[in-house]
Amino acid sequence: MGLPLEGIRVVDLTWVWAGPYLTLQLAHMGADVIKVESPDRPCISRKTTPYADNKIGLNRSGYFNQYNQGKRSITLNLKIPAALDAARRLIAHCDVVASNFASGVMDRLGLGYDALRQIRPDIIVISLTGYGETGPYHDYVAYGPAQVALSGLSALTGYRGSQPMNVGFSYGDPNAGIHGAFAVLAALYNRERTGEGQYIDLSQWECAMAPLGESILGYEMNGREPIRDGNRDPQMAPHGAFRCRDMAEQMLGRSIDMWVAIAVADDAEFARLAASIGNPGLASDPRYSSLGARKLNEDALEAILSRWTAMLDAREAETILQRAGVTAAICATNKDLDESEHLASRGYYVALDHPEIGRRKHAGIPWIMSATPCAVRAPAPMFGEHTDEILTDLLGYSADEVTHMHKIGALDPTERRSD
Amino acid sequence: MSGALAGLRVVELGEMVSAPYAAKLMADLGAEVIKVERPTIGDPARRRGPFPGDRPHLDKSGLFLYLNSNKLGVTLDPSCPAGFKILEQLAANADVLIHDLPPAEMDRIGLDFDRIAAINPRLVMTSVEPFGLSGPCRDWRSSELTLWASGGAIYINGSAAEPEMPPLKAYGYQAGYQGGAHAAVATMGALFAGVRGAGGQHVEVSIQESVASITELAFQCWPYLGLIATRFGQRPVQPLESFECRDGWIFVCCVEEHQWRNFVKIMDSPDWTDESIFVDGPSRAANWDALRLLLKEWIANQSVDDLYRKAQARRVPFAPVSHLGDLLDSPHLKARGFFVEIAHPIAGELRYPGAPYHLERTPWAIRRPAPTLGQHNDEIYSGRLGLSAMEIDRLRDEAVI
Repeated sequence: MGLPLEGIRVVDLTWVWAGPYLTLQLAHMGADVIKVESPDRPCISRKTTPYADNKIGLNRSGYFNQYNQGKRSITLNLKIPAALDAARRLIAHCDVVASNFASGVMDRLGLGYDALRQIRPDIIVISLTGYGETGPYHDYVAYGPAQVALSGLSALTGYRGSQPMNVGFSYGDPNAGIHGAFAVLAALYNRERTGEGQYIDLSQWECAMAPLGESILGYEMNGREPIRDGNRDPQMAPHGAFRCRDMAEQMLGRSIDMWVAIAVADDAEFARLAASIGNPGLASDPRYSSLGARKLNEDALEAILSRWTAMLDAREAETILQRAGVTAAICATNKDLDESEHLASRGYYVALDHPEIGRRKHAGIPWIMSATPCAVRAPAPMFGEHTDEILTDLLGYSADEVTHMHKIGALDPTERRSD
Repeated sequence: MSGALAGLRVVELGEMVSAPYAAKLMADLGAEVIKVERPTIGDPARRRGPFPGDRPHLDKSGLFLYLNSNKLGVTLDPSCPAGFKILEQLAANADVLIHDLPPAEMDRIGLDFDRIAAINPRLVMTSVEPFGLSGPCRDWRSSELTLWASGGAIYINGSAAEPEMPPLKAYGYQAGYQGGAHAAVATMGALFAGVRGAGGQHVEVSIQESVASITELAFQCWPYLGLIATRFGQRPVQPLESFECRDGWIFVCCVEEHQWRNFVKIMDSPDWTDESIFVDGPSRAANWDALRLLLKEWIANQSVDDLYRKAQARRVPFAPVSHLGDLLDSPHLKARGFFVEIAHPIAGELRYPGAPYHLERTPWAIRRPAPTLGQHNDEIYSGRLGLSAMEIDRLRDEAVI
């Protein structure tokens, strides 16, 4: 047996991050994911830093190249009937269609679910919109970082007494993508048993509230929001990130701050922490000997701990604490992740040869399957890299027909059309 | 109509968030999930809260109720031979065994894939682990905070203006939820392969790697540019930040040029928007300190709802910084039926967050409230496994169940 989704083909009409993160999971499992890209409007993730070696180019963005590994790319200008026809012919060969156009766009293109079902009766279609396909705000637009605000996560995240914060990345996107991948796989599993496909309406907003379920339920119970409290936890202390020595190297003339995260669950663990920082008496000190006391004196406790961590490299602090049986981890930078022996031993990061930017490391697959091993099989596609190949090999266009498609502007950016 | 996973049988040995969330995703689409909890103690999520009136109660914890609706609950101590034998019987009847026991605990109780596969060769066994089942950190201690940190998510968040403040964790259990969601995806992939003839298999999921998979472009800055991504650096695009209005906060978001131009129109095109330092996305990002102050001043006099509506009318993706109460009151979410009322015999009737997606032919549905501790022992042990009342009594007396 090969990969779990071998033989499954996916038309990927999504862009930026949520949809691409969904189809990335399917590509990891061996599906043939075909990205349909607009020749005149390349995905904004192709036009975003970091560009390999700081040289701008559609095939050079780390953003695009990370989240589109193992997919193929065809450029189709869907405003031209011949290209739209090619898209329909493509869909006839596919099991799944994913799109994140605003509500109604697929219908206007003639690619609504009912139309697609005519082409392929057991098709599975997923729409990822910001607010879902129904309801009074169904035509509102949202981006991943806005979902962090909209979901309530932003209002809950922040330092005590300070403003609502974001979470450091556009969390709404991969969160919607991973939930969407689950929905599509469940629909595929169901189709395998019943022979029937279906339509899936995914709301990124609703997905963004899913990992806040207990907090929303808490509000429902008590009519009260938790207060923003930094990294602290009501049932654990100490619980936070503590400053260590700066990284040995500087970056662009500035030093890099390093931190270790420490989470102490109970009194026994606190006693081990106290011993490992050379201050075993803390464990019997009435100011710190119980959770209640530690919560009451948390500022002072954090100051004591910070004086110890400040003398150490973050890795050193992490190792000392883990060896002593205390839950701790460095606040890993991208460099730390790249250099992690643990992740290297698991083969998590993968570097494949890319025709334009060479070998670069990318995040790989966070799971391992014993019977149907998954793999990143190819780097992200170059812009339109597989256009001719897909038209010819999959859709049966003749060489002349492909030439004609190029000629009428169905496949290429407007400025590149010669005649 | 039945759910997409109707007929699928799942056994869950999960605590807190990761494995329970994975099993919840399956249960909500119709799978039968038997949740196995330790006798007397139960899932620690039962002690986490939030609780009504802040009074702890094993059957009223918001975290437990949310994550375990739709599941059947049994108690079992798999670490004694009699308990492990029952676990094997449960696994013999199941399609999936999902657990989050740490590797050392798996070794201790003898939970080994080959051993389970010998009983049920079509079983998918999913191990949701902090650092996976191999590598030098395999047995490290972990928590929600340290997993978010070790996956690289915490370092890139926090106040850009106050370098003395620590990196900032996202609220709640995001590492746990993401580990669970990725585990659910991997498990479904293995199940799909199973119906196509691959048989059963062992799936292992690393929560650290799940977190490291979602940090946007932070990792890539290193192999692509040799730069460490920090919370202090300039963003590729601005504005992309929350601002305070006169009655709350709003997230201001202009990723594409037309969105910025429309925002300028909403502001009645003040003179400063013509300045060359704000001419395009990269310029606005480079001159963000200046732009931020100008926007702050203008936005301070607006109302959240008014600005939200004006922006959306021009297809600019602003969003309010919602409070939890706003969500429960949202007319949009009401119209979509997002919140579902679940009546629990002890916790009572409450509105829970509902379907994150609508599978139109096989809908998401709540069929039962979260189980009380050991609620379905008789139903499963007698009805399903055929144990006699006497045997069940003995197992109870010996604290096996």
